[in-house]
Amino acid sequence: MRVGLVCPYPWDVPGGVMAHVRDLGESLTELGHDVAVLAPVVDSDGPLPEYLTDAGRPLPIPYNGSVARLLFGPVSFARVRRWLRAGIDGDGFDVLHVHEPTAPSVALLAAYAATGPIVATFHTSNTRSRLLSAAEPLLTPALEKVAARIAVSPAARRTVVDHLGGDCVEIPNGVAVARYVEAAPATQYGDGPVVAFVGRVDESRKGLAVLLAAWPRIREAVADARLVVAGPGEPPEEAEGLDGVTLLGLISEEDKAALLRRADVFCAPNLGGESFGIVLLEAMAAGAPVVASNLDAFRRVLADGRAGLLVPTDDRPALADAVIGLLGDPAARADLVTRGTARAAEFDWRSVARQVLTVYDTVAPSAGHPVVTLDPTAAAEPSELEPAD
Amino acid sequence: MVIVVAIVAVVVAVGVYATWLGSRLDRLDTRVEAAIASLDAQLRKRAGAAARAAARNPAVAAKAGLAEAAHTVLQSSGPRDEAAESALTRAARAYVEATPSADHSELMAAITRVQLARQFHNDAVHATRALRGRRMVRLLRLSARRPLPAYFEIDDVLAS
Repeated sequence: MRVGLVCPYPWDVPGGVMAHVRDLGESLTELGHDVAVLAPVVDSDGPLPEYLTDAGRPLPIPYNGSVARLLFGPVSFARVRRWLRAGIDGDGFDVLHVHEPTAPSVALLAAYAATGPIVATFHTSNTRSRLLSAAEPLLTPALEKVAARIAVSPAARRTVVDHLGGDCVEIPNGVAVARYVEAAPATQYGDGPVVAFVGRVDESRKGLAVLLAAWPRIREAVADARLVVAGPGEPPEEAEGLDGVTLLGLISEEDKAALLRRADVFCAPNLGGESFGIVLLEAMAAGAPVVASNLDAFRRVLADGRAGLLVPTDDRPALADAVIGLLGDPAARADLVTRGTARAAEFDWRSVARQVLTVYDTVAPSAGHPVVTLDPTAAAEPSELEPAD
Repeated sequence: MVIVVAIVAVVVAVGVYATWLGSRLDRLDTRVEAAIASLDAQLRKRAGAAARAAARNPAVAAKAGLAEAAHTVLQSSGPRDEAAESALTRAARAYVEATPSADHSELMAAITRVQLARQFHNDAVHATRALRGRRMVRLLRLSARRPLPAYFEIDDVLAS
């Protein structure tokens, strides 16, 4: 099957949606399908995979409580149309699969420009999205072309049902288990216990501030403990002057896997706004015991706390005690690793990609020529897309 | 003069808008047709899978009424029958419960695909009915000649 995937966020900035698109594409390729990906790219001089088409340089826009780099405009619309027309080896696509089409992005543009079997995956859960409600009349013409909708979590599904009507199929995010199992543990963090945090450091909902505030207490109890913080953004002032804290900034996927393999505890002190919690699955796949905030999404991924420790959200002492307790109890850590590894295996991309393929099969006629084509009525529509204000 | 220009402008604007709405309605009709074709195909495959499962285990299947329910669906040449499809789901449920150690993978996969096809179909119907219900669409009688698509409601969940 010839599959076109559209990622709304830049390919060279790590993020949940981008990783989802990449891993879905690579899993589909492994299963013998032809995949092409369209995504914005910040640094077009950097290395890009062969299957990727650069949709242009994105602009930072505040979206869903964080700064999203999105892309929207006539130039990108032309690139989207060219990519759709070419498809796989100039042969078009059997299925167009857009991700997060509610964000003003190339994914939305692709849904506008194409007609035929279109599948959309919704990642965000944001029940208070005024933006989504306000944009509904603009989104509907594109979204009503979507033949099959997928949500990655119950929360994301609820957001779609509440704001757009209709329903969604639920297919969870996947994790490329093998990539984490096979990674060699990082060696540069000394012999003491390592606590790892992965996520944007300047985004308050990721909760780094809570962990930093809890850190002195952890460090007091476990003198040689080291906190390794990985993720892009401007580090908060609190991080300066703390003992045993290493700020890595943005790291590669390989380095992330190595860090998670090395970590004695993986900490996710998020405050909210999480739809799924893919990084928890990555940590579990890498064999790191997880301590996470008691958010709906995390509770679900951690199987109600059986696959990882849940602590009250934004509770420094509770977070510190949970981390200290685990660092001092190798048996409890080993137990969590066993259960976490088993839980991660349930979300392995190989099985998740098969579920997505079943959706493709349902909407795309199995035999014949590519059926995704340029929408003849869409050329006149971009003016409809200009922001209302 | 100004009034004439204004009237012409309004007529042109309404015309452009009506054309655009019409193209959306056309697209939705195509989507509903594709969804119906997919739903029919998956319902037929499910009945075929049920018939094959029944043939492998005739005694239990007869008790669950599986062969009969599958036969009813496969023999029918009329429009999709909600009652007959629900009856097939119930028979499949009874059959699967009565043969816990048998391999049901083909039947299970067929049932999942019917669930997907039915949801995508009903979603397409929902979107069509939403646009048809818009005041401008009714006022301009844009869908006067099109039949309103109906939802397809059956019991299609295997686990009771």
